[in-house]
Amino acid sequence: MKKLTIAAALACAIAAAAPARAEITVCTWGTITGPDALVNGMTYGTRDYLEYLNQTQGGIAGNKLKVLMLDGRYKLDEELKIYRRCADQEQAVVINGWSTGASKALRDQIQEDGIPFISESFASEVLDPQKYPYTFIAGPTYEQQIIIALRDLAARGGKKVVLMYSDNEYGRGPVNVVRQSGVIEKLGLEVADLVEYRYDAQDVTAQMLRIKGKNPDLVYVQGSTPQLLVALRDAAKVGLPAKLFMGNLYNISPAIPEQLGAAADGFRAVQTYAFYGDDIPAMKEIEDYAKKNEVEKKDIYFIKGWLKGKVIAAAIGNAIKKNGGQVPADLKAFRKSVRDEMEALKDFDDGGITPPFTYADHQGSVQARIAEIKNGKYTPLGAWINAR
Amino acid sequence: MTKRSFLVALALAIGFAVVGFESGRFWAYLVYSVAIASIGALSLNILIGYCGQITFAQGALIGVGAYGAGIAGNAGWGAASLLVGAVCSALVSLLIGLPALRLRGLYFAISTLAAQFILNYLFKILQPLTNGVSGLVVKPLMLFGRPANDEQYAVICVGLLFLSWLVLTRIIQTNVGRAFLVVRESELVARGMGVDVARAKIQAFLLSGFFAGLCGGLIAFTSRLANPEAFEIGLSVDQTAMIIVGGLGSLGGSIIGAGFVTLLPEAIERLGELLPSADLISAFREMAFGILIILFLLLEPRGIVALARRIFARRGAAARTNLPDRASYGSGAISAQNGRKA
Repeated sequence: MKKLTIAAALACAIAAAAPARAEITVCTWGTITGPDALVNGMTYGTRDYLEYLNQTQGGIAGNKLKVLMLDGRYKLDEELKIYRRCADQEQAVVINGWSTGASKALRDQIQEDGIPFISESFASEVLDPQKYPYTFIAGPTYEQQIIIALRDLAARGGKKVVLMYSDNEYGRGPVNVVRQSGVIEKLGLEVADLVEYRYDAQDVTAQMLRIKGKNPDLVYVQGSTPQLLVALRDAAKVGLPAKLFMGNLYNISPAIPEQLGAAADGFRAVQTYAFYGDDIPAMKEIEDYAKKNEVEKKDIYFIKGWLKGKVIAAAIGNAIKKNGGQVPADLKAFRKSVRDEMEALKDFDDGGITPPFTYADHQGSVQARIAEIKNGKYTPLGAWINAR
Repeated sequence: MTKRSFLVALALAIGFAVVGFESGRFWAYLVYSVAIASIGALSLNILIGYCGQITFAQGALIGVGAYGAGIAGNAGWGAASLLVGAVCSALVSLLIGLPALRLRGLYFAISTLAAQFILNYLFKILQPLTNGVSGLVVKPLMLFGRPANDEQYAVICVGLLFLSWLVLTRIIQTNVGRAFLVVRESELVARGMGVDVARAKIQAFLLSGFFAGLCGGLIAFTSRLANPEAFEIGLSVDQTAMIIVGGLGSLGGSIIGAGFVTLLPEAIERLGELLPSADLISAFREMAFGILIILFLLLEPRGIVALARRIFARRGAAARTNLPDRASYGSGAISAQNGRKA
């Protein structure tokens, strides 16, 4: 009995001396339902990577992660509500948000709250490390993606480009920035036409006939996958081949070759992350995760989400390490530390999703390559190009 | 308005303001979201529920208020910008309402639909004023030298909702309000009774537009962004859903409907988080509005308010049935159902 008492007392003493483990909350929201849901793998990927850490490593430095995945429905009021829930109710250490509109509406709030915030938007308006030190994005801006396409056209000896874009901020904004930057003229290119279409347009045959009359060397479409489906379908109707068209990262969707079949062959898009299924270390992790869990989104957007999960985990891990292996007791200090560590990531190896990058500029890798649909599958053409 | 209903409304307003101020930013956000939506629903109910003028331009009118208040706020007008937004919206509402002097019913409704699209297009192309598709980033309201926070916005919005309700309730009880009701029932009868139909309609549009603009101004300041995408036809549909669910021709119903429609998605989301199939519940949320509106139209077209009245009336009747000395009421008992002597 005496021995038992001593053992119990010893166990209690050890337990009291052991560092207390905390639960770390990370919030991620996306368009789970609603427009743009085709690319919501970005949200699933982040959640799944952090869950993978919970399952394989017990979280980060022994602290379990509580991952909240919420549906912003691509509605500003919904996203603003979710932000407050994450920041206030859930006491999240890091938030991964979605739309350009919400990122813009929240940018001052984010600085006031001092919460590291990764936006899914690639809009240059949300990226300003000096003015908005807590806001990060994860890749080249839309403008940089357009420039990559234009450089590719110039390198191939093309001259005339048509810029086709939706009638919202996502469409007009980046096209205006590129036009005003003078880069088109510097590359020796000429804008043959500017073609605007309704974001929810179901038929763009008239626009395609207009484009056909201009006989361009490239039609760059600043749109999402649903618009690209309409554009390529109507282009085929008027005899414009898919190889004339190029889109951004949000047009690398299996839905395009699946729904359009041979009519999509030759379509190109700017690829900024490895494909799902590529032979890279990160894919091995995903396969490992998939043994026990269902991976709901098997596309490039899921890979982007996985990358963000890695960045978030690395920053949280480094912040804990700097605090002597303990989660800082003060949430505000913890958030600031995670932000600092995120910014300090140098030559970050994300398991081959992108070339190693430094996050001091708050956008990470700005490398991209052109991918083309060949026999119903996206195939990378050439090596990574630096968007700068 | 009775003294009792005034006191109940005041107590509720104070209660919600305290909840908004004391329960953290998330609750503050919910409180002011409901309050803002309620002001919009009150304004729409004046036009549709009281005056019988069906409109689909509510979203755009709220947008006019948002841009008006946002531009004035950025120019340093402070809280007075809310008034600027409301006046801008009232004037635009008057313009939209002018065809109502010639058109009726569906024909007029279609003209308001056209106005919704035209205004939304103007938000996108009037770049120097509205900042086009990028949206107008709005400076926050300053209170005591500091930007207003969510808790303060909750108090401001609940206060303005209470004032809006008070003003509209008073107006409804005047000859102006009575004229609205007669115009709604029959323009022919209204003319026969000596009501100036054109004047009544213009007053309804001005009044409705003013409060829609106030709603828009509050949206601009609280969300810090006036964006064309936020004021599309979807917002008009949401607002119409609020007054149908709450109760057409009932100011209290507008507020209940706004609360119901604004909080329903959150309630379904939270419910979904408790269940394993969260994605499915999320998708169900999208259908919930449609299903609810159909159910209300089928089962109780007069909305939650009428439903509540019916339930209370039944309970009241049941309570009376159980009274041991029921016989003592004799033939003088009043029917709870219809207010007539039994």
